[in-house]
Amino acid sequence: MPAMKIQISYTGRSYQAASLLPAEITLDDGATVDDALCLLKKDLSDDQQLPGSCLVAVSGEHIGTLTNYTNRPLRDRDELILIAPVAGG
Amino acid sequence: MISADLNRQVLGSESALGRPRAADFGDYLRTMNQFVEVEAIDHEPNDAEAVELATRCDIILACPPTFEERLRLNRAAVHAGIPFIDAAQWGMTGTLIVVKPGETACLECLYPEPPPFEEFFPVVGAISCATGSLAALEAIKILSKTGDPLWGKMLTYDGYRGNFTTVQLQRRDTCACCASLG
Repeated sequence: MPAMKIQISYTGRSYQAASLLPAEITLDDGATVDDALCLLKKDLSDDQQLPGSCLVAVSGEHIGTLTNYTNRPLRDRDELILIAPVAGG
Repeated sequence: MISADLNRQVLGSESALGRPRAADFGDYLRTMNQFVEVEAIDHEPNDAEAVELATRCDIILACPPTFEERLRLNRAAVHAGIPFIDAAQWGMTGTLIVVKPGETACLECLYPEPPPFEEFFPVVGAISCATGSLAALEAIKILSKTGDPLWGKMLTYDGYRGNFTTVQLQRRDTCACCASLG
């Protein structure tokens, strides 16, 4: 099955977790945001998981938070963006 | 009170430690420009006061430390129908959200419930200042009707990698704050 490359961008609160996530993942053609997030979760231990309020976007388009997002197919070279909520003043 | 967070409080100084910060910051601003009127408020407004204050404003820029406070100011701005700019930082990351009530996503569209509060969080003063300056620039653009404000977008700066990211935000049709505005 053809594979596609998905770039991963993670920033915001708890950026230390970003160092544990790959900059790029490879998924089967037709894979979705769900598939990508499931793969990323495996790279984090239970106490390193990203917060549910983490914003999720695909190639610049916001699709929700980790607890409530609109799943969609990914395309080769899409960028999956995760932004943990930031509130420091 | 002015405290150890002076690393990002460009209006403060050690000479004023121990005194209420709002009044001191107000005094400093008046020394910078005699033609600017400053009304310093030394407490966090409640919902009703925030709405009342918003009706006297043309724009709100928010940078408090908790989402409860940010969401309160967002609601006040949406209620008053004025632009709202949320500026935040955490360590090496700065974020900016620019809201046009009724037309773009508001802060509550993104966070219907306030994310957990962290009492202690890292602050890099340069990130705070850069984010604050970008927020001020957006306010100048909006008020002077110049350029293309970041309406409905989140701008993120990752200081670790030197990356800017812009995300187009989606309104939430069940948002308790702004969904009724169409």
